[in-house]
Amino acid sequence: MSAAVPIPLIQLLQVLTVALAAPGLTGVIAKVEARLQGRRGPRVLQPYYDLAKLVRKESLAPEGASWFFLAAPLVAVAAYLTIPLLIPVLTTYGLPLGYLGDILGGGFLLSLASFVIAAAALETGSPYAQLGSSRAKTFSAITEPVVLFVVFTVALLTGTDLPYHMAAVVRSSAGQVIRPAHLLASAALFMVILLETGRIPVETHTGTNEFGMIEEARSFEHSGPYLALLRWGGELKQFILFTILADVFVVPWGLASTQRLGDVVLAIAALLAKAVAVGCVVAVIDDSFAKLRLFKITEYASAAFLLAVLGVFTMYLGGG
Amino acid sequence: MIGVMLALLAVPLAAGIASFFGPARAGAGITVTSGIACFGLVLALIPHVAHGTVSYLSYLRADAVSGVFLLATAFLYAAVAVYAVGYLHGRSDVYARRFYLGFNIFAWAMLAAPLMGSLALLWIAIEVTTVVSALLIAIEDTDGAAEASWKYVLIASAGLGLALLATIFAYYAGAQVLGVHSDLAIGPLLRAGGRLPATPVRLAFLLAVLGYGTKVGLFPVHTWLPDAHSEAPTPVSALLSGALLATSFYAILRFYQVAAAALGSGFPRDTLLAFGIASLLLASLYVFGQRDVKRFLAYSSVEHMGILAIGVSFGAPIALAGVMLHVMAHAAAKGNAFMGAGVLTVKYRTKQMAAMRGGLALLPWSGPLFLLSIFALSAFPPSGIFRSEFQIVAGGLASGNYAAAAALVVLVTVAFFGLATAATSMLLTSPPQPPQPPRSGTRQAAQAPAQEQVPARGEPSVWMVVPVLAGVAVLLVLGVHPPGEITGLITRAAAQLGGTP
Amino acid sequence: MSSPGVYDGAADVIAALMLLLEFGMLRQALVRDQVRLYAAQSALISVLAIVIAADRNLPDLYALAALSGTLKVVVVPLVLRRLLGSPDGEETPGVAGSYTLSPASAVLAAIGLAAFGFFSFGSLGISSPEAPATALAIAGAMVFVAFGLMIVRRDVASQAIGFFSLENAISLASLVVAAGLPLLLETAFLFDLLLAVVVFAMLIRAHHARSESLSTADLTKLRG
Repeated sequence: MSAAVPIPLIQLLQVLTVALAAPGLTGVIAKVEARLQGRRGPRVLQPYYDLAKLVRKESLAPEGASWFFLAAPLVAVAAYLTIPLLIPVLTTYGLPLGYLGDILGGGFLLSLASFVIAAAALETGSPYAQLGSSRAKTFSAITEPVVLFVVFTVALLTGTDLPYHMAAVVRSSAGQVIRPAHLLASAALFMVILLETGRIPVETHTGTNEFGMIEEARSFEHSGPYLALLRWGGELKQFILFTILADVFVVPWGLASTQRLGDVVLAIAALLAKAVAVGCVVAVIDDSFAKLRLFKITEYASAAFLLAVLGVFTMYLGGG
Repeated sequence: MIGVMLALLAVPLAAGIASFFGPARAGAGITVTSGIACFGLVLALIPHVAHGTVSYLSYLRADAVSGVFLLATAFLYAAVAVYAVGYLHGRSDVYARRFYLGFNIFAWAMLAAPLMGSLALLWIAIEVTTVVSALLIAIEDTDGAAEASWKYVLIASAGLGLALLATIFAYYAGAQVLGVHSDLAIGPLLRAGGRLPATPVRLAFLLAVLGYGTKVGLFPVHTWLPDAHSEAPTPVSALLSGALLATSFYAILRFYQVAAAALGSGFPRDTLLAFGIASLLLASLYVFGQRDVKRFLAYSSVEHMGILAIGVSFGAPIALAGVMLHVMAHAAAKGNAFMGAGVLTVKYRTKQMAAMRGGLALLPWSGPLFLLSIFALSAFPPSGIFRSEFQIVAGGLASGNYAAAAALVVLVTVAFFGLATAATSMLLTSPPQPPQPPRSGTRQAAQAPAQEQVPARGEPSVWMVVPVLAGVAVLLVLGVHPPGEITGLITRAAAQLGGTP
Repeated sequence: MSSPGVYDGAADVIAALMLLLEFGMLRQALVRDQVRLYAAQSALISVLAIVIAADRNLPDLYALAALSGTLKVVVVPLVLRRLLGSPDGEETPGVAGSYTLSPASAVLAAIGLAAFGFFSFGSLGISSPEAPATALAIAGAMVFVAFGLMIVRRDVASQAIGFFSLENAISLASLVVAAGLPLLLETAFLFDLLLAVVVFAMLIRAHHARSESLSTADLTKLRG
């Protein structure tokens, strides 16, 4: 087990792990959810089959839609696949490409993906797709300040805005874990993740009711391989957000601190376990709460904002 | 002397319980006895506190400042107890039982406050006065009383919350010097003086002025006061105004002493001056245009509390002596005014001043006495208030606060005009005339009820005159020639407030 | 940035949770939920007292925690629930919708108040080895939010709960800066709270009997 994995390979492994595991995570969540409801549920691998099926299908574009409509899924997936380079996915030490962008850079990439999908939905002229993207943009305008305040907290805690440093600070002592700034920022981030991934209490993930849809409605007009890309993109986004929550904020343990093969393999296993654990929490929440009415979502977002603001407050005095 | 202090704490409590559970008609007698007994006990205590501090462990402590407030409260307790006999008019139902229970316990809490040896116990005593007096206001089962008592209990409790915060910071300050197990006893805190850390003391003082100031009725936290005073039963209004406000001011004075010892007197005096001027300004303007006689007197109370705060802020010994005298004189004068207003209210069956006409002609005793009380409140010589305000202004001039002293004089004059206009319209007009004899038989039925409304000449009850007479006598004595014991007490209290331990 | 240490962190987290519950009370429409949040907040106070007792070796505080827990987690919520709920479990009218501001504006205003309280208490520089400065500042923020709660809600239930939670905020402050305050005095403070609860209860009942509602919107007769 002493073989050292070369750094570029680790870097590649980060992206590959995320890319390959993301649909599986969605499958696990769906399975857990079904079990909690007393159903057998779909196979865990079902999302992979879905993607494979979609890839084989023919692709149609609405009349009048420009090249942008078809390019959007590619751009979105490219953005999502870049983010794992920036955040601590497998290692405690920063990898060379990890310094391509800071935590804000990651945020920009997420926003870029979300923007191109929304813009593509506008191309279609379909009312539901447009409704979905306008809602998604409205709520992301509200969650933006929350994310910013979370970033401020990170910046105040670490003096930088690099995710690797944040994880290192949290690992450094128990006192750092329990300080209110850290817990409040984590809670706020978790609430935002629920909103961004279209989970209860914001949106019914598996619903077919167009009026309650936000994220789901945007891909209505895509089909075939392009729809597969969008689906995969959504799963990537979910996995990335869970990774940020787990590896940067809540449990940044189990990451590889060396280049040894054993450590890296363990780190992959730990990452998958953590993602599944977060997924289980999300599934439990999915099953225990009702969906909020659309206009109550602002209040949900304001609660997250409150958490984030209080996090910065307590940080400000140094003691928090 | 411990015996006297313990008796003061026991008698009103026992009286309250006895009048609730005892024979139906005994309540009045028990309460009057208790009131007079307490006044006697305080008189017995005065010579001792005028020469030194009496204390028992760290729980009970009475010095000259306490003595002044005890004297004011006990006198008013006795006077109002007598007055209540006439006010309740021989009632012996549940209302009367509840009234006497609450009344005695209210007096008990107010007498206990100046005897408390630590700031924490002081807070507790004042909190007890709040809850008991809130219930006493609510005892009048009317919409107005329900509203007033809710506002009062909410605002005053919130204020006392701040006062509790003040107490906690005072503890924190004390614990830095006296160790963790100091218990906020006043004596050690005063002795620690300049060694106390400045910031917590400053914060504690500000919070105390704001918190206890809510109960004193300082602007801008006075808003409950006119409502509560106007809706409470008259004897309770008299105690609220004459004794409760002063007792709360006593709490501020204790914090003032600690703050002045720890910070020097600049900051505490400026704070009190600001609150005092604002209250005086507000009250002297609001006295105009009041329609309800008890509301009108309530604003006058805000005015006098403002004068007390300004007097303390002057800091000169003569001003502090004036403040101490003012506490006693105001208790007597405001008690008198409320008792007189109560007679008018009973007589005219309304609290509206517009409906009160010709009081002098209708009330052979209470009319002139009410007029005298209003004059006394407006600081006419030879009332005690004239002497006290004169001393306060003299102190202001002596300490170089010319602007504040001038403002004080101007605003007190403004308030005097307000008081005088209202009083003359109530008293010196001709009484309401019975309607003209009807010319035709058809209108007779319609006018018959109106005819009953016109009150006849005469006093409602002799019990409601005697305490007012006593109050006038006290005001005269305080104004013309205060007895030596009282002068000694006041001089010593002023010296203590000025910083001499 | 240096770590604040586990003890301080725990105290601060408990304080922050109390502040969040305060916001919850501001936000909740139903009395039942408000009372539940109040009970939870009071339970946190007891937990904090136990934490401090264990860390500082102040055995008095165990007794205080027990006493405060009994009173504020059990007795007061019980009294309030008995008093404010109607017997058939339905909500008494007058509480839901008693906002003077819209809920979102109320929360934003309260965030402003909390910021003011937080930084004004935080800037005092009152800290000692025993006092985690952040917890004190949070207590300051809680005081202001409790005042906000009493102001933005126009019903006797919310106002009473606002006052009781104000008292919780003060308890928090006193635990932080005055943990050594003699047990006797702390007990007296608690007893006094009980007295206030009784009086609030009587007045609320009188108000309810009079107006069939818990709303205070009609208490506007006395002016001037």
